[in-house]
Amino acid sequence: MLVLRRRAGESFLIGEEIEVELLAVTQQGAKIGIRAPKETVVLRKELKITQEQNAQAARGASLRDLEQAVKKLHP
Amino acid sequence: MPSVKTKYFGTLPCAEGAVFDFPQGLPAFEQEKTFVLIESPEGAPLVFLQSIAHESLCFVALPIQVADKNYQLAIAPEDLEELSLDAERQPVLGAEVTVLALISLHDELLATANLMAPVVLNVNMRRGLQAIRRDSRYSHEYPIANHPSQRNAMDAQKNAAEEVC
Repeated sequence: MLVLRRRAGESFLIGEEIEVELLAVTQQGAKIGIRAPKETVVLRKELKITQEQNAQAARGASLRDLEQAVKKLHP
Repeated sequence: MPSVKTKYFGTLPCAEGAVFDFPQGLPAFEQEKTFVLIESPEGAPLVFLQSIAHESLCFVALPIQVADKNYQLAIAPEDLEELSLDAERQPVLGAEVTVLALISLHDELLATANLMAPVVLNVNMRRGLQAIRRDSRYSHEYPIANHPSQRNAMDAQKNAAEEVC
């Protein structure tokens, strides 16, 4: 992973069209601004993970398999 | 009483108190705005979030405290506001909210619970959302039924993670 050190107000570029600016740093976290073409999807990673998990969860299973799985939790 | 077609239980009467609005839907299912919470004795401890619009969409879940009896809520203030709850504090499990971990079954040996993004239901307002944690304290694939040795390994990992936090 490339690691950069930036101060508030400084930015960096990804390719020609994407600019990421560090707006502010507080104890709660860093505030980041992103300038990118409209068609670029910007997603918090945990949201992407949740979408994938939900898609997997929705695939479902037979009720019997689920019950079997949970029985192992509570023998 | 209105009824709902369910994926697992045929057509069920659905009590008004069991219907929850999800104004934002769920990630990857943003169009699904209404779910019924089904708690059936034969399914226990599993509970089910059945889409009203689509019979074939039913999430299987465990109450969060069943998935992990030591689970600590950390719902973000924005999410609490969205649920019309006091954003200054964590809500009381049971009295104010029901919190569910969605289950994925990967194969017959491995079922996992998403502890990173629990579904939080405001039981009084009957409103719900999936509250993605801002920390990385809990896994999105916590094994709930697994080979014992693997489970212990995961527990050890989790304990290690807790020490870091």
